[in-house]
Amino acid sequence: MDIPRISKRRPYMNPYVAGIMLGVTLLASFLTLGAGLGASGGLARVAAYLESRIAPAHTAATVYFGKWGPQPLRYYLVFMLGGIFLGGAISAISSRRFSLRVERGHACAAPRRIFFAFAGGVLAGWASRLAQGCTSGQALTGGALLLTGSLVFMACVFAGGYAAARFVRSQWYD
Amino acid sequence: MIETCFGIGALDSTYAFAVAAVIGGFFGFFLEQAGFGSSRKLAGIFYFRDMTVLKVMFTALLTAMLGLSYLTAFGWVKAESLYLLPTVYGAQVVGGLVFGIGFVMGGWCPGTAAAGLAAGKIDALIFLAGAVAGSILFNEMFGFVAPLYSLGGRGVQFVYATLGMPKSVFVFAFTAAAVICFWCAEYVERKISGRGKYLFSPFLTVFSLCLLLLAWGLSLIIPPVSGEAGIESGIMADVDSGKDHVEPEELAARLMAGDKGLVLVDIRPASEYRAFHICGAVSMEMPRLAAYLAPHKNRGTIVLYSNGMTHPAQARDSLARMGYRNVYILTDGLNGFIARCLKPASLRDEPLTPEQAARVAAWRRRFLEL
Repeated sequence: MDIPRISKRRPYMNPYVAGIMLGVTLLASFLTLGAGLGASGGLARVAAYLESRIAPAHTAATVYFGKWGPQPLRYYLVFMLGGIFLGGAISAISSRRFSLRVERGHACAAPRRIFFAFAGGVLAGWASRLAQGCTSGQALTGGALLLTGSLVFMACVFAGGYAAARFVRSQWYD
Repeated sequence: MIETCFGIGALDSTYAFAVAAVIGGFFGFFLEQAGFGSSRKLAGIFYFRDMTVLKVMFTALLTAMLGLSYLTAFGWVKAESLYLLPTVYGAQVVGGLVFGIGFVMGGWCPGTAAAGLAAGKIDALIFLAGAVAGSILFNEMFGFVAPLYSLGGRGVQFVYATLGMPKSVFVFAFTAAAVICFWCAEYVERKISGRGKYLFSPFLTVFSLCLLLLAWGLSLIIPPVSGEAGIESGIMADVDSGKDHVEPEELAARLMAGDKGLVLVDIRPASEYRAFHICGAVSMEMPRLAAYLAPHKNRGTIVLYSNGMTHPAQARDSLARMGYRNVYILTDGLNGFIARCLKPASLRDEPLTPEQAARVAAWRRRFLEL
């Protein structure tokens, strides 16, 4: 009797087709919400919530998080971030790509990859607050709206990325 | 005309939250389908091994840009119902560079990390924790970075206006550049990692032609006008199409949103200004207007108003001849603003929808300081 293969990862979608579908999603966001896609904005709201749980009086008195009021999670981008997680989970599970692991090169020890992931996260989180958005909210959304600052941001993301790439390449060595 | 949540000031409603969650679901689904649930694949672009990020990102950008440009050209959606991020050169240059370093270091950006976490990637969780820490760090040091946060602020700026070219010309050039990038990306992949399977494929050829055709088609709807010879005909065309006008509702919405790139000028005599003016307007009589506006030439949006429209229209045409491309007049002047934005719902001939009534109430609170 044949034993059916239970775990076969499906290949990724044609990148141009995936791009069109993401573009249509962004267009739908413009036409319904009147605002584009965003991820770092939701994440910052989570950060504001966590800081206010630890130090309520201090957080309320800060200039940046303070202006979001006592309920920072009541914000559309927080719900969008939750949606991204759910949509990603549906896609990963239905395409049999879910696997619990630290993604890295075979020759890279896990702690090194963890360090880079955390340090990169700190820089990206900090920078997205400074620039009022990330690759989703600034580069993609603002780029589609042809906003000058968003396109400048996108160019600088690539400039910064390419400039730093060789210093962090060891995490992908096989 | 499509009304958006932002346009009616309802981005914080339960409805908007539900819509955002659904949109986010599709966003996350297609991010993962594209392969962005893998940090290794995302970082590939920085080593020219896997150019998927470039292909997906620019295709998405072009799709939304062309779609929105057509919808705007047909008048189905208005710029006033869209949330437009301001341009802040200093913050966006420094933020972009630091973000780029964080991106290549962490192998994720915030949106893809959320999708990557859903695909079981522990490094995505670590990255997200780092991003939360980075956001808190920013909050804690805001007093220190505040000058940079607003350095080089120009308000809402469209890149074609910044570059001084017609929108349709920029859209076509941008689309053509992206198509060239797609082909270069396929070529680079084939040379470096032996992939690039769409190079010279019928799919990529047809896709490229479709994009170029759509971008070119836009120029048939938005006629390009530029250069010295185009100024007068440009003024005529703007007057003819009403593009030199800002509707009272749009002005009110932008004032409410605290748009820093907006310069609102009351050109009536100073005595009338003192008696009543729109909150946020500066008083500037016609003789001093050009000198006052010089620093704002083609930066942000200048809106002129008087009681009616004759004087602002004359001032606007004169400024347009001096090369100002960002001067607008308020439709029906101050009288129109009062009638359309500030007149209480109860005194109107036509009934308002609950959303419109709520908007009028908010405007009355803001502009009449009730």
